Amino acid sequence: MTTEYATPEEYGLADLMCCAAAREVQDNEVVFAGTGLPMVAILLAQKTHAPLLKLIFEAGTLDGRPPEIPTSVGDARCEMGASRSSGLYDAFSIAQRGYVDLGFLGGAEVDEYGNVNTTCIGDYLNPELRLTGSGGNPDINSFAKRTVFIMVHEKRRFTPNVSYITSPGWRVKKWPGGEFVHRRELYGATYRGGPSAVISTAGVFRFDDVTGRIYLDTCHPGKTPEEIRDMCQFDLDISRVNGETLPPSREELRIIHEVLDPDEIFIPKVKKG
Amino acid sequence: MSINKRITLQQAAEIIKDGSRLTFSGFTIWRRPMAIVYELIRQHRKNLHLIEVQGGSHSEFLIGAGCVDIWESCWIGHELYGKYGANLSRKVAEKQLIVEDYTHAEMMFRFAAAACGAAYGVTQTSLGTDLRNPEYDMLGRAGLRDGVRIPKHKYQFTEDPFFGAGPQVLIPPAKVDIAVMCVQQVGEEGTVRINGQYYSDPEVARAADITIVMAEEIVPEEYLRRNADQNNIVSFEVDHILECPFGAHPTGMFGRYDVDGPFLKDFYGRTRTQEGFDDFAREWIHGQDHMSYLEKLGWPRMLKLRANTALNYSVREKKGGK
Repeated sequence: MTTEYATPEEYGLADLMCCAAAREVQDNEVVFAGTGLPMVAILLAQKTHAPLLKLIFEAGTLDGRPPEIPTSVGDARCEMGASRSSGLYDAFSIAQRGYVDLGFLGGAEVDEYGNVNTTCIGDYLNPELRLTGSGGNPDINSFAKRTVFIMVHEKRRFTPNVSYITSPGWRVKKWPGGEFVHRRELYGATYRGGPSAVISTAGVFRFDDVTGRIYLDTCHPGKTPEEIRDMCQFDLDISRVNGETLPPSREELRIIHEVLDPDEIFIPKVKKG
Repeated sequence: MSINKRITLQQAAEIIKDGSRLTFSGFTIWRRPMAIVYELIRQHRKNLHLIEVQGGSHSEFLIGAGCVDIWESCWIGHELYGKYGANLSRKVAEKQLIVEDYTHAEMMFRFAAAACGAAYGVTQTSLGTDLRNPEYDMLGRAGLRDGVRIPKHKYQFTEDPFFGAGPQVLIPPAKVDIAVMCVQQVGEEGTVRINGQYYSDPEVARAADITIVMAEEIVPEEYLRRNADQNNIVSFEVDHILECPFGAHPTGMFGRYDVDGPFLKDFYGRTRTQEGFDDFAREWIHGQDHMSYLEKLGWPRMLKLRANTALNYSVREKKGGK
């Protein structure tokens, strides 16, 4: 069966990002879901190529199969069809124990080694703005084998120095001095992996296996590699670009908008002219 | 038979003294003890030290009202209905509030340590991040680490002494004076039955010196004891109980009512400034009691939020509160 891909006027940026995120999931994996677009992406994967994935909601739902999208991870909808509904101690114990393959996370700023900030803008000791704080972001990023970050792409957000390292990337600070080292050096026997992709509103980015440095993998349709490089404050590696991000299929769009998020809570429908 | 544990809403707030180390049941915008939070604001409680697994709308109300001096946690916001804690952000910028950042897993493990009487929790989370930056020990910088009310250190590093797994982070137990819980059912003797995800409630209730449980309904203790395997918190861990229907509003309660999204959106939108907060508090908190608050919300609104008993969420409230 050949896949019918949607044409550019049939989908929006959120559709494209959601499908790109869903494609990061492999069948049978244990996946940790945060609120928002990642929940739609994971459920999309569950309803397409990864029916056996095991979904964990941070608030305490384990192997959940919600028939419709929860509004947040504390929602009553989370635990319908779940293997177990309990609490955060279970969710984080399972993560620290090493069961989690993949986590979807967000961030306000990212540096070229995948360090992410969700804590504050400006000097931590005199912040211009306090953001939501770490939540479970650094925990999932410390415990899971792979993490994928979903981010709005603005030049100020793709920065050589994030205001505060909330969530560990590939080169992290060794305390008390704060000099940068590869995360393998710090995590010892608990090292399992780290950030594997950033899906922004401009493209999909990955990290070099050896250096841990970010590079551009695919450009979202309509963007050139040079344009995306100009949208970063650091010197983005565009030497390994794999063409354009694959568009959503018509079937994926149907599932997103008719089954998972018909009320457009997280993913707006494209207005048909 | 034990002593009568029943108290009133006003008494519940009076048990919480100025300067108390306080924590709560629930998760972000679910099962937060809002009726007691409002009463604390009416009683002008001051200098509270919140230690929570994660914050939410209730923390924003207390912080906006100036009740809080220290907030130790990992996250604050209103989920879909407000993307960050605007009151906390304002108070931090004005240096009226000390924030001590931990991660979500750390806060959970800190409560688990306190709940089993351990000297510390241990984890491998967040090595290499600014959560481990020694300069960012805010309670230490403020000279408040007395080793009595506040732990001597924010954290300590050690090496795994048993299997050589590498660096470990020791984190202090979350010692709190009072836990304020909001649940579906409590028995006359204090046994608690929670429906739906129980979040971090069992650990939180056990960790606290005093546990106050506000329930949608007080039920015969004997009813809960018929199915003891479905109960979540032990009778003798609970010191005081009170019945307060819709006590979690505007946060939600599994099987009873949904989050009041428009209410939280309105709060988030209007309380970016102190004047905005004060105006909101005049409208919804001061000069009210719980019954007049519910009357002001009105039956149509509450019925819209009421959960379908088969699905455990409302099918009348448009999802996402749009």
